[in-house]
Amino acid sequence: MSRRKFMGLAGGALGMAAIASMGVAGWAANKLEIDPEALEYLENETDVLIIGGGMAGLFAAVKAHDAGAKTLMVSKGRLGSSGETPFAKGIFAYDPSTTEMSLDEFTDGVSRSAIGTNNPIYTRQMAEHSLDRVNELREWGFFDSALYNKSFSKPIEERNIDLLERIVITNLIKENGKICGAAGFSLDEEKVYIFKAKSVVLCTGAGGFKPNGFPICDLTHDGTIMAYNIGAKVTGKEWNDGHPGQATNSAACFDGWHGMFERVPSVESVGIRHDLGVDLNYMAYTNGNPVQMGPPGASESKKVVGGPYVPAEFSQRGPDKHDDGPKDGPKDGKHPRGGKPGEGGKDGEAGSPPGMGGVSVGGSSAGMAIHKSEGLVPINDKCESTIPGLFAAGDALGSYMAGAIYTQIGSSLAGSAVQGGIAGKAAAEYSADKKIPNISKTKIKEIKEEMLAPLHRTEGYSPAWVTQTLQGIMIPNFIIYIKKEGLLKAALAYIEELRDHHIPMLKAADLHELRLAHETVNMITTAEMKLKASILRTESRCSHYRLDYPETDKENWQAWINIFKGEDGRMKFEKQAFDSWPASGKPLEYI
Amino acid sequence: MSIESIDGCIGCGICVKTCPTDVIRMDPVTNKAIIKYPADCQICHLCRMYCPVDAITISPEKSIPVIVSWG
Repeated sequence: MSRRKFMGLAGGALGMAAIASMGVAGWAANKLEIDPEALEYLENETDVLIIGGGMAGLFAAVKAHDAGAKTLMVSKGRLGSSGETPFAKGIFAYDPSTTEMSLDEFTDGVSRSAIGTNNPIYTRQMAEHSLDRVNELREWGFFDSALYNKSFSKPIEERNIDLLERIVITNLIKENGKICGAAGFSLDEEKVYIFKAKSVVLCTGAGGFKPNGFPICDLTHDGTIMAYNIGAKVTGKEWNDGHPGQATNSAACFDGWHGMFERVPSVESVGIRHDLGVDLNYMAYTNGNPVQMGPPGASESKKVVGGPYVPAEFSQRGPDKHDDGPKDGPKDGKHPRGGKPGEGGKDGEAGSPPGMGGVSVGGSSAGMAIHKSEGLVPINDKCESTIPGLFAAGDALGSYMAGAIYTQIGSSLAGSAVQGGIAGKAAAEYSADKKIPNISKTKIKEIKEEMLAPLHRTEGYSPAWVTQTLQGIMIPNFIIYIKKEGLLKAALAYIEELRDHHIPMLKAADLHELRLAHETVNMITTAEMKLKASILRTESRCSHYRLDYPETDKENWQAWINIFKGEDGRMKFEKQAFDSWPASGKPLEYI
Repeated sequence: MSIESIDGCIGCGICVKTCPTDVIRMDPVTNKAIIKYPADCQICHLCRMYCPVDAITISPEKSIPVIVSWG
């Protein structure tokens, strides 16, 4: 096998055959390195439990505490050093003293770019509160360092907020119709934790399929899937994020982003756009490789006919040129695909995005949608989910703040800060008249057995092998990006096989592999959601592109797709009209 | 292979906490950081950037096959 092939295997049959031939372990005996019977069991109590230590979690903890609640923060990683937050280098601030555009004009502009897919209440809320959050971050020293742990620790330590790091939360706990806590295990100590909480704020980010070239390999939609499992409605699974990667050393995030991770963060001002859809994927699908990016005229790629629709106002090609060449040349001479993961960037500074000046490959962020277009369905503007006491903020909340396309540089980080603050305060207010809930022994026993099951299996599939199998099924351009019914259904058959016959046989030899096992389960459930929602949405809009339904259908699809677990345990779907809150309408079940 | 070497470790453990994908652990005998799970490295360099003594060297090559959307 050539070195090039080794470093960047295209997905699908070739990739799977190559992996198999390279001997990545599949089924094997489980050589335990810890004694699952000896795990210590601990219980904690709090008013508000914050899960996640990124930008949303930071503000959720601070504002819940400041609203008078006893607050406990738990993170799978380290504060300010896990998820996408450490790599986001631009934060948007709407400053009325320097911006001519009114808040209403900004909101309307985002709605036009997003072709109606945004929730204007969350769009406006983000802009309105962004400057206050940026000013607080400045006080804490956020803009003084490329590394965020110190500035994030300042307000947490000043308030004596309890913080537990490297705890993997695997289950949310609901009893009597309300949230009553969460459960997880430590990566470092052989301990299982049960957290009893009056309310929970999920700040767990979004996720992907541990893709190559984007620093989200610790994000596997954990919060979304835990919430789905206890009955919460979730949304946004048909959308994509179209970040490309670089062909050479595709997995090297740091190298692909050309040192941007070492840059101190900066404040971004108003500039509405329509980026990070699947235009480049369509170009690659139509023309093949090599796909090169850059300003107009820089690429010698053949012209592309058709492809994702871009509103004329935001088109890089000008109006009425829907079939006239690639859309990668921005009207302002800057590259439209932003600069850093999730936040765009400034050309000319250290840290150009992947693909600039070189050959690109796709799937860098595979499994992730446009920021804040996927996650828990909110029932109001307070980040409250469909389960009483359960809140979510940032990329864990399907707020549609930006819509199903990338509309404003830096708004992702700003939105996480704003929503974190709102959710934390709302959770504190919800908890004010509640008592610490009881969790039944039966429930705790059931959760512990489920959590630790991979450690108890004497043989089984390694999570790493199942994850690679899933990547080979989902990441190909012709499955997750340039969609058509036949191949979506074919991929679904494979994913259902993983769901039914591999999840029950995942093994784990230690706590690291136990984490991988749970992440793998969450990715399989996410893949099922993505394929089924993509089959249902028989139109093309923003970052969802159906080759067999290339037009936007404004008659039938002015709606988001909500997903929830039915009483029979099956995945159910419903439409929620744009610009509305959840209704208990008759679900559209995919068959 | 991703994190290539850790040379000159002072045993502070910051890299272990900092790694988003839990690649590094402390050796219980030497009390120095070791590369325990290299296949999970996402090559983000956070460990190197947080290391107070610049002990970590990272290569851009992934230790397991990489799947991309087109090739």
